Parts: sequence; structure tokens; C-alpha cells
Amino acid sequence: MTDLGIVLDLSGSPSGPTIAEIARATERAGLDVIVVPTPAEDGLDGWTVATWVAAATARIAVGLSRTRPVMPQPTGAAIPIPAVAEKARESLDLLVGPRLLEKGWTEAPADAGPDQVRALAKDGHTVVVPVTSVADVERVAGLLPDRPRSTRGAAARARRRPGIDYDNVPASLADTAVEPGDPRYRSVRSTYMRGGSPGLVLRPRTADQVADALAFAREHRDLPLGIRSAGHGLSGRSTNDGGLIIDVGGIDSVEVLDVERRLVRAGPGATWKQVATAIAPHGWAISSGDHGGVGVGGLATAGGIGLLGRAHGLTIDHVRAVEMVLADGTQVRASAEENSDLFWAVRGAGANFGIATAFELEVDEVAEVGWAQLTFVSEDVEASLLAYARAQTQSPRDTTVFLVTGSPQRGQSVIQLYGMVESADPDTIIERLNAFVPVGQLAQQQVVLTTYASVMSTAADVGPDGHHGAGEPVGRSGFLPELTPEFARDAAAALRGGRLRWFQLRAMGGAIADVAPQETAFSHRDPDFQVTGLGAFHAEMDEVWQPLEAHMEGLYLSFDTAPGPGRVERAFPPPVLDRLRDLKSRYDADGLFRDNFPLAPGARA
Amino acid sequence: MTDYGHDLLFGSFITPSAAGAQQALQLAQLADAEGLDLVSFQDHPYQPAFLDTWTLMTWVAAQTSRVRIVPNVINLPLRPPALLARQAASLDLLSGGRFELGLGSGAFWDAIESMGARRLTAGQAVAALSEGIDIIRELWDTGTRGVARVPGEYYSVDGAKRGPAPAHPVGIWIGAYKPKMLALTGAKGDGWLPSLDYLPEGVDSLPTLNAHIDAAAQEAGRPVTAVRRLLNLMRAEFSTNGTGFLDGPPQMWAEQLADVALLHGVSGFILGGDDPVKTQRFAAEVAPAAREIVAAERM
Repeated sequence: MTDLGIVLDLSGSPSGPTIAEIARATERAGLDVIVVPTPAEDGLDGWTVATWVAAATARIAVGLSRTRPVMPQPTGAAIPIPAVAEKARESLDLLVGPRLLEKGWTEAPADAGPDQVRALAKDGHTVVVPVTSVADVERVAGLLPDRPRSTRGAAARARRRPGIDYDNVPASLADTAVEPGDPRYRSVRSTYMRGGSPGLVLRPRTADQVADALAFAREHRDLPLGIRSAGHGLSGRSTNDGGLIIDVGGIDSVEVLDVERRLVRAGPGATWKQVATAIAPHGWAISSGDHGGVGVGGLATAGGIGLLGRAHGLTIDHVRAVEMVLADGTQVRASAEENSDLFWAVRGAGANFGIATAFELEVDEVAEVGWAQLTFVSEDVEASLLAYARAQTQSPRDTTVFLVTGSPQRGQSVIQLYGMVESADPDTIIERLNAFVPVGQLAQQQVVLTTYASVMSTAADVGPDGHHGAGEPVGRSGFLPELTPEFARDAAAALRGGRLRWFQLRAMGGAIADVAPQETAFSHRDPDFQVTGLGAFHAEMDEVWQPLEAHMEGLYLSFDTAPGPGRVERAFPPPVLDRLRDLKSRYDADGLFRDNFPLAPGARA
Repeated sequence: MTDYGHDLLFGSFITPSAAGAQQALQLAQLADAEGLDLVSFQDHPYQPAFLDTWTLMTWVAAQTSRVRIVPNVINLPLRPPALLARQAASLDLLSGGRFELGLGSGAFWDAIESMGARRLTAGQAVAALSEGIDIIRELWDTGTRGVARVPGEYYSVDGAKRGPAPAHPVGIWIGAYKPKMLALTGAKGDGWLPSLDYLPEGVDSLPTLNAHIDAAAQEAGRPVTAVRRLLNLMRAEFSTNGTGFLDGPPQMWAEQLADVALLHGVSGFILGGDDPVKTQRFAAEVAPAAREIVAAERM
């Protein structure tokens, strides 16, 4: 194809309406790009003219050379601040669509004839010709009347990433796929906690389409491959830079299969809020995480340490069957009876084995629950942690309470407890919660008698605009067999140090520990707590976490983002790891799934 | 009693929300069609939910025909003054003289620093704004021969070409509350653009704050009328039987605003709230009635 366009000649100081008129005429004439020339020092500002042109037109690419980044001098009065310029580019995309083109054109002389333009266009260059009037535009448009055209605009093509065969996306996915030059890209590029710039997002809606997506991924083995359900993962492997994403968010149906057996079928792209809402009319619930916005697929293949965990176990303990597509495109069903090895592996290490397209879940009868949010202040966070652990471990199974705190401010820690008491009796609820009073000085409390679905529903809907996480979360996790005074001392020191910004304890025990460790690939059944920490920088966090990790075993895939080696080995104890590696060589020998705690040797984290 | 005698301006304060860009445009086009004088946009580049204000203002200017576009107010620490001068002149030229420059010294320094600008104390930021205004005025001044040289501690230009010159004398309207900023407004500003909610005693603060500006203007050898006074009004409701300030029927608003104009010299009223119905009534019912009262009183 050959792209042909104009470059605005601003030397005669054309008025705003004249510039808009030329721009509209250029678009009407079917030309491909309007280039705004790099301005003279005392000329019209390039960004302002480019925005003006983009606002006056609807589809055509607008070219403006990116000014060479200059290190801003403190007193430099003329140099844009790079982050502000980047924000302006993002805003222009949002206002007029991804139409900004920042390089890739060649300027022909104003009086160039067809042969000269054809010669300049030979190597696929976009050729632009200077114009000062609508008449000039019409002349340029007549230069190459029969030039081959692309269905996708010049600006969109310029944003494509290397190594992706964009023109051969499987037909079943072509309509819903999103690439960087699409207006929808902004809504799919990032996840809840991580900014991303994938090269292509495939959005299958059926198992067959997932198989098509995987066939495409197999043709692009050298690129990062992220699998996304609802994009909530803290570990954040569901977006990347320049790679592929298979986003199963559209496979989100929830249906009751068997009322007697309380058997529910859910797609990986449904959120736990949707699941909770769909099954609530039956008086049912399933313990998921602590946030309704989390997707089914990521959580139900990793664990699921939730607000009813001590009463009802992990989410994976409710999985009765998984339908999935393997790396080679085979569609299989895994359950206790069929592909039982795979069924074992997918409950705790699912991301290594395939893409789940449906889960069959046996849910629980859960009537009303007491939902508590308690805020304490404490001058002795060490004592508070011990008091919380004592209260939680001595509680009956009906009580699951999580703790969150951060760095103390002026010697005072704010400690949030939130959790559920599975009881409809207010006296029982109060009695259970009273055990936590020694945690600190109670500053705020909210306790309501409600349903599990209502609590999940407090999560905001993400909506069509998608997630807009930025940067990368720095998370560490582990399992605490017992919250000892030594751990409380070290955790308090880490919190006081200021670099451990966010710290969470999730209560385990109870029904979680009823399941034998060898039953599922998630084998950390005995610990009292699961611990998560968030910081700002990996190196800093490694230092902070080291003394805490000495008290812990294992790690929880969902909350750990450590880039270093040995994390897979830490996540899975030796016999589990051996079995997983054996299965990996059976189900994904070439390591197609290698971006999320990969089991294969030599794979990247 | 102070009336500086400026024609009254009525405007709208529109949130530059990224999720609501089309609504922002529709509000601006409504203001354009209904005869409001100004549409204005706050500038917080570090706010992820907001659009880049410069890009939004240009996009809006290209799709309106009559109304003037005003940043309310520009965050100078994140928009270096020589660049800002050229962008402002360019937007004024493209829009046919429909731009005025609301300007502030910056707040929220953690966020400003996180975008890559330096952190200044409040006092330093006033000095930096003063230097910035000097640079902007120099670069706009193409009537003077030779390159622009403005030495400064926070910003400087040394041998910059002048231009482009704006299409009309663009007003520099300063968001000011504290004595040093008010003094700068009196000495160098063409307008004062505070928000009523941030004045310590609301309308009752106006005499004191005006006096600060007036004193500084006189000290700089300028007439006090060189500085137009404007006011952002964020909390205002139409009601049939309300009795408070800007809580009542349109005629009552008109009387109250006319009072503020005649007693305190405020000649620009900018209404927030992002509400099309309120905006329309402000333009169609309040503005003409207030103008009528003020014109009658001034005769």
C-alpha cells in the first residue's frame, strides 16, 4: 500500500478556520495523513495545531514529529515536562482516537508530480506534499488516484508492535481483537494494579475460540503471553509489554446446573460478585477472596483464601470439574474421574496447564452473615498482631477475620480488621467479634447483618472503560504456620521501618486444613495465616521481607510479584513440584504457558 | 463601595474528566450557544481521572465559535512559561482571539514533584510565577525589537525569539488568596480569579482582599481598574423559595450577583457543577437580569 498526505504550510500564518478547512478537505479527498510541521521557535505551537487539526477531522492520521526529549533544566522555560507531554498524548488519543503519528513520512516538494511522488513512496514511505489551500489538497489527491490502500489507518499501523502477524489473526477472533491503534485499546491494555502495553489482545468467547487464540500464540512463542480473566491479579501476569494477551473476560456466564447438589457452572471471566449475585437467590454462597471484582479464572486456579475460608475452605476445594483448553488446543474436562492428574494440578497451579473455559463449583448453603469492619489505633503494633492472632486462632470456624495495616504514623498504627461471622444471630456475632477487642483502641466500627452477596457487591463495576493500573505492584507473600512473638517483633520492625507500605494477614485454618495437602497442587493446608506485603521497589522489598520470610513457608501465587529466581521452588514444596514438572512435560512440554510462575526449566518469570 | 466598572462576564467551570469528555464538550457548546462569555477548566496534570487541560481546551476551542476559553487556573510549575506563552498565543490565534490565561503558582507539591517538576515553597512559587509572567509578556511582545532576555532565579530566557503574538491582548488572570499572591496580582495581573469557597469569609472577604490588590497595583503605578475581579462559584442552586446566597430563583441570583458587582467590583462570575440545566438558566435568566441591574445602577 502507499500512503499519501499533506504537510500544512504554516508560513503564511493561516487562520484557525482555514487550517480546519484544509484538514477537512484532506480527509474528504481520501488522503491518509495531515502533517503539522515542526514549528519555528516563534511560530505556532505544534501540539496546539495538531490538536486543532484532529478536532476538525474524524478519522485521518495527524502527523507531528515528537520533539527530541531534552533533560529539563530547572530554569528551562521552554522545555515541556515529559510526563505532562505524555499525558497530553494519552488525552488526545482519548478525545479523537489513536490518530497521532509521530514519524515515518517523507516530504515531497510542493510542485512534485506523480512520478516523483511514486519514486519517494517506493519503499513503503508515507509521502506528504506541502499545501497552503484546499485547491492544493485536491491537486495532491489527484497525484496517485489508484494507489493501493490499507483498511487500517496510518496512525494505527504505526502503533503495531514488532513480531506479531497482525494480518493473520484467526478469523473467529479478528472482530474482537484489540491492537494498540484501536480506540478500545485504552480499556484493555492495563489491569487493576499494573500498567501494560501488549501488542495484541485476543478476546475469545468460546472454547473453540480459545483454541484458535492458542494456535496463534503457538506461532508467536518468542513473545510474552498473558492470560486474563478479570484483570485483578496482583501478581499481574495478565498484561505485558509488546506481547499477546488472551482475555477470557467475555466467557462470563453463571448458571445453576443442579439444585440438589448445589452445582454451579461459571465462566472464567465472571467476577465473584457476579457469581455471588447469581447464586444468592438460592440461599447459597461460595467463599472466594475478599473483593467481588476478582475474576473466577485466576482465583479458582490458584487457591482462594476468602472471607468464609475457615468455615468452608478454599475456593478450589469447591471445584468439581474444570473444562480447559491445553497448550496444543485440545479441549479437555478434568475432574476426580477424568484427567484426575490435571484436575489435581489445576487447583493451585492452573496457569501452567491451560486456559480454563468453565468451572463446575459445588457451593454452600450460607444464610445471613455478620459483616464487620473494625478500625483500631495502636501504639504497639507488635502486641496488636499477637492479640489479633490469639483471637483469630481461638475463634470457631464460623469466624474469619483479616487484618490490614501500614507504616505507623507518629508512632500510631491504624489497624483495619474486616471479616465475617457466619451466623444470623446478633448475639453470636457480637460475642465472636468481642474476642478481637484487645487488638487496640477501637476507633471506628461497622457491623451489619447481611448476605455474602451484598458484601461482594460493594466492589465497583469496572465497566467498558477497563482498568487503569499504572506501574507495577511490588508484592511478597508467604504462609505463616503460627504467628509467634518473634514474627510479631520482626513484622512490627518492618512496619516501623516505613518501607513495608501495606501488610495483610488472611486467616486460614478451619476447613482449609481439613483437606489433605496432597489433594490439590495448593498444598499449604496447615498454616494459620497467609501474609502479604506491598512495597515500592523490589530491591527494597527483598530486604524488608527477608527477616519475615524466615518465619514463613511457601508463597501464595496470587500475591507475589518477586522477579528473582527460586520463587516457583518456594511456592511448591519438593514432592508437589516434582509432580507438577512431570505433568508440565506431559501437558505443555514446550512451555507455551511460561509467564506466570513457570514450571519448565529455563522459562521466564 | 468599589465598582471597577468592567463589563460583566458570565462563565462555566467544567470538570476535565477523562471519562466524561463528551459531556465536557457538550457543556462548552451549550455555553457557546446560550451566550455565556467563558468556559473554564481546572488544570491538574497529575490527576489520573482528568484529561490534559491544554489538549482539552484546544479540542473544545476547535468545536465552539464564540465563547472564550480559560484555564482555571494553569499549573505553572508543570507548564514552563516560555512554552506556555507560545501555546497560549497559538490557541488565541487559532480560535480568533478567544483565549484568556488563568494562571496559578501550583499547589499539591507531592504530585507536582511526582510528575518531574521541582518542589518549591509557597514563597518561592510566588517568585517563580512573577518571573513566569515576565517571560510570557516578553515573548508575546513582538512590537519590541530584538530577542527576549529575562534573567530569573526560577525561570530564565536568554536570547529567545519573540512571538507568536496572540490575536488579542490575552488577559493573565491569577488565582490568588494569600497576601504575596494578591500583591503579585495587583502588580502584574490583568485579572484576579479566586474561588468563593476558598475565601476565608466568603463574599465578606472581598473588601480586604481587593484592598491588597489595589494597594499593590497603585504601588506599581497601575490603575486599580487594570485588574478585573472574577469569582468561581462552586456551590449554587436554583430553588423556588431558598433564601441564602445563590440559593433561590434566577432573579434573586441576579440581584445578589449585581450586588457583588456593584459593592465589590467583581465583574466575572463562573459557575461550577457540570449541570447543563443550571448552566442554561445561568446564561438565559441570571446573566441578562444581572447585567440590567448593574447597567441601571451605573447610569
